[in-house]
Amino acid sequence: MAEKHTNPINPGLALVAAVAGWLVPGLGHVLLRKWSKAIVYFCAVAVLALVGLLLRGNVFSSNAADAFDMLGFLADIGNGIFYFLAGTINSAGANTAIAAGDYGTRLFATAGVLNLLCVLEVLQIGFASKREEQGQAG
Amino acid sequence: MILNHFQTMVIFAFVISLAFAFLSKSETSERVRYTVWAFLAFLVVAIGIGWLMYPFSN
Repeated sequence: MAEKHTNPINPGLALVAAVAGWLVPGLGHVLLRKWSKAIVYFCAVAVLALVGLLLRGNVFSSNAADAFDMLGFLADIGNGIFYFLAGTINSAGANTAIAAGDYGTRLFATAGVLNLLCVLEVLQIGFASKREEQGQAG
Repeated sequence: MILNHFQTMVIFAFVISLAFAFLSKSETSERVRYTVWAFLAFLVVAIGIGWLMYPFSN
């Protein structure tokens, strides 16, 4: 049976990794040397965000008209670099008049929330509150 | 790009199942089992709810 122990990591590095992980999905885990998690999280967020944008989903801006728009913005901003490049990736813009555009809106928001979960895990690992299997690469 | 509802759901279910497996499990075999289980659960529940809502579609 593998012995469990807490993984001591500099809290300052954890905060830097969290910001990096928000900006580029998976980068936080790279800084903490969790290689496999970094690859999976980047691919997961990238697939959801890119499919969402290519389906011409809506990307919420910070000047929200109501609380639901603000929630949408908070979810979307979790995508980090994909949020800031949304206009470049899909220059045609949103089209929620068709069902696919509506699916795209949900996928893009899901990608953002998923990335925020990954950022929370970076903080959890960084502050050594998450027990890791000894000898596990990530 | 145009995808129908089912294709979108399959992409969503697979990606989320995989990510959740890595978030919640630490060993490879556990991650594989969790991914397959969660993916199938997503599909079965979504298709089941779809069938339940079918009588109300018209």
